[in-house]
Amino acid sequence: MDFKESGFMYLLGGLVVVFITAQSLFFMRKAWSHGKELGLSSAMLKKTVASSILFTVAPALAILATVITIAGALGLVLPWIRLSMIGNIGYEVTAAHSTLESFGILGGLNLEVKDKTVFAAAAWVMTIGSVMPLLLLPLFLKKIQNKIGKTVTANAKWADLMAAAAFIGLIAAFIARAIAGAGDKNIVGDGAGFLSVCTLISAMLFMLALQRLSKIPHIEWLEPFAMPLSMLLAMGVAMLLAQILPQNLATLEWRG
Amino acid sequence: MGKTYFDRVHRWGKISSLTSLVFMFLIPLAICVHLDVWPPATTIFNGLIKIVPLFWTVAVIELITYAPMLGAGGTYLSFVTGNISNLKLPCGLNAMHNADVRPNTEEGEVISTIAIAASAITTTVIIAIGVLLFSPVLPMMTAEGSPFAPAFQQVIPALFGALGAGYFAKHRKIFFLPVAMGVVVLLFVPDFQAGTLIFITVAVSLAGAHIMYKKNMV
Repeated sequence: MDFKESGFMYLLGGLVVVFITAQSLFFMRKAWSHGKELGLSSAMLKKTVASSILFTVAPALAILATVITIAGALGLVLPWIRLSMIGNIGYEVTAAHSTLESFGILGGLNLEVKDKTVFAAAAWVMTIGSVMPLLLLPLFLKKIQNKIGKTVTANAKWADLMAAAAFIGLIAAFIARAIAGAGDKNIVGDGAGFLSVCTLISAMLFMLALQRLSKIPHIEWLEPFAMPLSMLLAMGVAMLLAQILPQNLATLEWRG
Repeated sequence: MGKTYFDRVHRWGKISSLTSLVFMFLIPLAICVHLDVWPPATTIFNGLIKIVPLFWTVAVIELITYAPMLGAGGTYLSFVTGNISNLKLPCGLNAMHNADVRPNTEEGEVISTIAIAASAITTTVIIAIGVLLFSPVLPMMTAEGSPFAPAFQQVIPALFGALGAGYFAKHRKIFFLPVAMGVVVLLFVPDFQAGTLIFITVAVSLAGAHIMYKKNMV
């Protein structure tokens, strides 16, 4: 049995589900009691729960889709765990990719991880890379809410822009690699080439088109699905091109 | 003087954050013990050194930006379960809007916490059910020679192409410079790894965006 999908890994995933559910229920119960003390009606509180569940279904399915797309490299359970706790697809993939590179695996998550040590290292890097908020919250949240929040609200545009710029910088590195990066000379399909550029362009075009479609009245529900759908459709394009193109073109990697 | 509801939320939040921190570290530790493998500290360090400067800085920015909108309970829960900007924040704001309450009031705090807790549970359950349903078919899809294999080999361009287009649509003016810089660097050093390249592209992106902001171009 694949060690990435063993019963033990599923047990860990199950524990994460129990942990998050218990913690969320605790906060919900405390907030509910205080809401009643404040005079908020049960009907309003129940409506809040129901509408939040409905609001969440589509984005949660979108997160599930991203778990499945990176499962080819890391199995289903580790991405499931990581995207359930402080998860963010861009960060998790970058952290795993960075770990694989530190082992000299240039193809990164385009290839299945078969080495247990590499897999365990990826789990550590993904975890340590994302724990900063849990260190900051107990120390600073109370102060932030009392003071800094007011200042940031005044500079909200600059703060938004810098957060977006940091993330764009991260994305840019991977886009550039798909256009002009070299892979492992012994492995076919891991470096920049015809297929990687076609996949990149398809993903961008699908995303722009789906985002535009989701602005049309009555199909706004499409919006949270635009990202994972674009990913899956672009991966479909890669699959199709690999089937119909001549072998030498489909496997062409211009930087090796 | 008795403790206010906010004081109590912060006390519970501190306990839950620290418990979550310990729980998170137990997962890779359990994987190492179970698989009986202990990755060399240097490889973990080399993996981390490329991402931590960016991730941890963004964590500070996100905390400062989101906390005033999410409320105390909502912030503690959101930062444990993640997916804040794409799910927890809009969910919390939507619930407060529907209930006609404002952030940073006790009513807003209550509604935001309940909404985000409901959202966190729903997300966790949906992903868990989906993973269990997909687990039997995934090995066949990713096997060598499977028609699906080329699709999984192109995960990175597909993911970052889609993510990139989302940001391109909103921040067109600051998008091109870091991408162009990344490509130029790779033209000279084609095997420059993504983890290292990030340092350059993020620095260029932040500098470019800051200059454009100062010149009122964005």
